[in-house]
Amino acid sequence: MLNVADNSGARKLMCIRIIGASNQRYAQIGNVIVAVIKEAVPNMSLEKSEVIRAVVVRTRKELKREDGMIIKYDDNAAVIIDQKGNPKGSRIFGAITEELRKFRFTKILSLAPDVL
Amino acid sequence: MRLEKCWFCSSTIYPGHGIQFVRNDAKIFRFCRSKCHKNFKMKRNPRKVKWTKAYRRLHGKDMTQDSTFEFERKRNRPQRYDRINTEKVLQAIPKISKVKATREKDHITKRLSVGRVNRRTEDRRELEQSISLVKAPSVLKEDATLTLPKQKVTVSYAQTENTPMEE
Repeated sequence: MLNVADNSGARKLMCIRIIGASNQRYAQIGNVIVAVIKEAVPNMSLEKSEVIRAVVVRTRKELKREDGMIIKYDDNAAVIIDQKGNPKGSRIFGAITEELRKFRFTKILSLAPDVL
Repeated sequence: MRLEKCWFCSSTIYPGHGIQFVRNDAKIFRFCRSKCHKNFKMKRNPRKVKWTKAYRRLHGKDMTQDSTFEFERKRNRPQRYDRINTEKVLQAIPKISKVKATREKDHITKRLSVGRVNRRTEDRRELEQSISLVKAPSVLKEDATLTLPKQKVTVSYAQTENTPMEE
């Protein structure tokens, strides 16, 4: 179950599938996933058991960079996006890595309070 | 590229080494090796773990205040590149680290010198008291070479004995 790192209205997501990977089992930072909302804040646009797309922004599993840096987060989190890749919420919570720039999620990076 | 300090043991982390852990409040903990990382996961306080720099500084084992530390302070303001300045800095770095190393070594030597003196006096005392375990005291008295290097003052009793008491 992933946490939601924005204010779109969902709280917890369950990953169903990774977009663009047929047999990949585990999503990494930057992967777009199909997820179902397991827990949501009441009276907002997103409801429980809605199937949406999200991009993974934080993982407990280490992220390895080419310069040898290894980054590990404290939780697994995703930001809900629409079909184009724009975030649904207006604020992002928590630190985001530069890896998202490679995947062209510039809007998320600009909203992030802290970019590593 | 930046040389960071390990959060647990305060050693420098060179590029390609160690793990960075980002907590949910966006605080970054950098570790130089898995030993430090595992100790952190065990929730150990570095100030209580004896081999860390934090413990050593806290308990006065290592030097804490010195002017050489000022050179290494983190400055968050980026400096404009100045060629002459950079050259000077590069020349100064080995000198400063040499001075710092000698000062740290002196600090430790000074701290340990008290123990050295104590041990020597202890040894001397033990020698004086327990020399009988090595050789019998009578043997030591006969053979002058076996005695401790003390200054012996021989008092001649013969003269005083022969002087008759005044009646």
